[in-house]
Amino acid sequence: MFCEKAVELIRELQRISDGQLPAFNEDGVRQVLQEMEALYEHNQADVNETKSEQRADLLPSIRLRHCCLLRNQRCVGAYLYDRLLRIRALRWEYGSVLPANVRFHMSAEELQWFTCYKKSLASFMRSLGGGGGLDVTQDMRPPKSLYIQVRCVKDHGELEIDDGTLVLLKKNSQHFLPRWKCEHLIRQGILEHVVH
Amino acid sequence: MFVTDIRKEFYEAVADQRVALLVASDIDALCACRILQALFQCDQVQYTLIPVAGWQDLGTAFLEHKDQFKYFVLINCGANVDLLELLQPDDDSIFFICDTHRPVDVVNVYNDTQIKLLIKQDDDLGVPSYDEIFRDDDEDEEGGDSGNESDEGTEPSGKRRRFDEGSVERRIERQREKREWEARRREILFDYEQYEYHGTSAAMMFFELAWVLTKDTKDMLWWAIIGLTDQWVHDKVTHMKYVTDIATMQRHVSRHNHRNEDEENSLSIDCMRISFEYDLRLTLYQHWSLYESISNSCYTCCHFKLWTLNGQKKLQEFLADMGLPLKQVRQKFTSMDMSIKENLREVIEESSNKYGMKDIRIQTFGVHFGFKNRFLASDMVHATTALLESTEKDENETDNFIKALDSLSRSNLERLHSGMDLAKKKLIAIQQTVASCICTNLILSQGPFLYCYLMEGTPDVKLFSKPMALTLLSKYLLRAFIQSTRNKRCRLLPLIMAAPKDVEKGTVLVVGIPPESETSDKKNFFGRAFEKAAESTSSRTLHDHFDTSIIELKTEDRSKFLDALITLLS
Repeated sequence: MFCEKAVELIRELQRISDGQLPAFNEDGVRQVLQEMEALYEHNQADVNETKSEQRADLLPSIRLRHCCLLRNQRCVGAYLYDRLLRIRALRWEYGSVLPANVRFHMSAEELQWFTCYKKSLASFMRSLGGGGGLDVTQDMRPPKSLYIQVRCVKDHGELEIDDGTLVLLKKNSQHFLPRWKCEHLIRQGILEHVVH
Repeated sequence: MFVTDIRKEFYEAVADQRVALLVASDIDALCACRILQALFQCDQVQYTLIPVAGWQDLGTAFLEHKDQFKYFVLINCGANVDLLELLQPDDDSIFFICDTHRPVDVVNVYNDTQIKLLIKQDDDLGVPSYDEIFRDDDEDEEGGDSGNESDEGTEPSGKRRRFDEGSVERRIERQREKREWEARRREILFDYEQYEYHGTSAAMMFFELAWVLTKDTKDMLWWAIIGLTDQWVHDKVTHMKYVTDIATMQRHVSRHNHRNEDEENSLSIDCMRISFEYDLRLTLYQHWSLYESISNSCYTCCHFKLWTLNGQKKLQEFLADMGLPLKQVRQKFTSMDMSIKENLREVIEESSNKYGMKDIRIQTFGVHFGFKNRFLASDMVHATTALLESTEKDENETDNFIKALDSLSRSNLERLHSGMDLAKKKLIAIQQTVASCICTNLILSQGPFLYCYLMEGTPDVKLFSKPMALTLLSKYLLRAFIQSTRNKRCRLLPLIMAAPKDVEKGTVLVVGIPPESETSDKKNFFGRAFEKAAESTSSRTLHDHFDTSIIELKTEDRSKFLDALITLLS
């Protein structure tokens, strides 16, 4: 049946709906494009035949194929766009350097798009704060205090804080540290924010 | 040296620095730590919290962190040993010690630069004066002959000597004085360091600091109360001291409760209310059934002698005397009839007076927040101790420390309730062990002390591989033994208990407690005794715990160690 491959692409994205990026299904996209090409060829042939021989009975099949083409286009468009939205969210979550396994899942064009997005976000951030620049990707929720209490879940070795001193992160030790130093470690799961 | 103004000399000194907190594993230390953490959070003092379980942990933690921190705060550890010699710190490390262990080591008292004791100077200390222990020895004159004993008593002979006669005599005088002084010094130090006991709770010290800074809150007050109650539950302080400290806390409680509460502006039910309670000495009775609580609390169990058949009958009589139906009494306390619960305390007090239990009620505090949550301070202590010493698999000591620390917050009620369940199991295990020890006469009188050894196959013996649990068991056992024995002399003896600690390494945990009496001053001499006995028999012991009366010993060395103790103490 027509358009099944395209719906397959959409289903793939829906299965992994929590913001993770699955690998770019190049095969699937290519198959859909091939199907579209095949449909288009058929339609072209039929249209020429209808015009030359004035046959009205081919019109329904032409219309059907046209609808399938539009459907395929919409599905592939949605697939590509949803992936771009996910990649954009990754910038806000991971920072400007993506981990290798995520980059592996992106196609070359998507990587290029990501670089352009990074550049425009960076120039936007630079323009804020009266020329001084402001990193808006930090503190996604307004922080309640400058320092937070964290507990170390795994051994991590030493962490250097702003005035040069080192903190030894040993399992089950608790620390009271500046918030901006701890956030990426909390995201990685090495520290745990202790709320009382 | 002792810190006189705790705000200036301690808090303002560390306020803009980074501090390392080394905290011992007992409830008083945990409460003190929470109060200090709350203060530091208020003033944004960066700190690192490291739990330490013994001297070795303390040494390792210090080595790991000495390059990163200059200021160390030690809670409930470090005062009773020469800290500078133990840790060998650099000259710019400063230690603030808030410890309940007494006697405070004299070096710690008289060191002016690196050790600052957050202890009140009059806290029952009896520290010998400086001149009695330290002496500036610059009195050796030149001209040899300084240690020559044969000079004493002999008359100076020969013309060469006559010239030096005066100075020889002076030197002899000085040497004799020095020897006398040294003998006196040894005696004074021996008397000072012989007995080990406990001083004011560390949590109360830090609460006072918070009060002086006017940053005290009800949560901190509650933690201070829990710290004080921990000292009472684990029998570390005398009854007099406990009552005096309760009076101090009562003043703070009334200060915090002083609000114009009337019909129009009463506090919401969710606010935290601390109240003074003259409540029953039945452990965890509000979270258990009354019957179970009476059967498993040390005080009632020992007075009724519930390990005998007679005792069980007396208990039934007692309940009948109060008019409490068995069905009600065996239910969960919260589901008992309101009519029974209303005057329960007075009814029980009246009946217990008839049965010889004069102090069934004790002064304590309770907290109340929300509709369901009422806790007495002793409930919290039992729950948190059970969490701290939980012997579940895959939990090491620092995990337990973190869990116990968390359970002190009001938002972690499930953890607190799980702690209470563990505490109930522990109490039942203690009572069963006490009953079996007494019924099978496992307690032997060795002459100067009583001795009891828990064999490896005893049920729940794993619970007693932890120091606080074993100490609690020993205290209950001693009280029960005193009630059950007819030998008057045995009632005045101290008790030593041993239980297997680590089956693979083949070690036992040995605990010594002082004799039990009405006017006991809770001073324990076993610390020094254990040290000397271990030395004389070269037994393989580990004196790792901060309380010197708790040691770890190899199972094979048990008998020779005991023999040495018997000879030492008779």
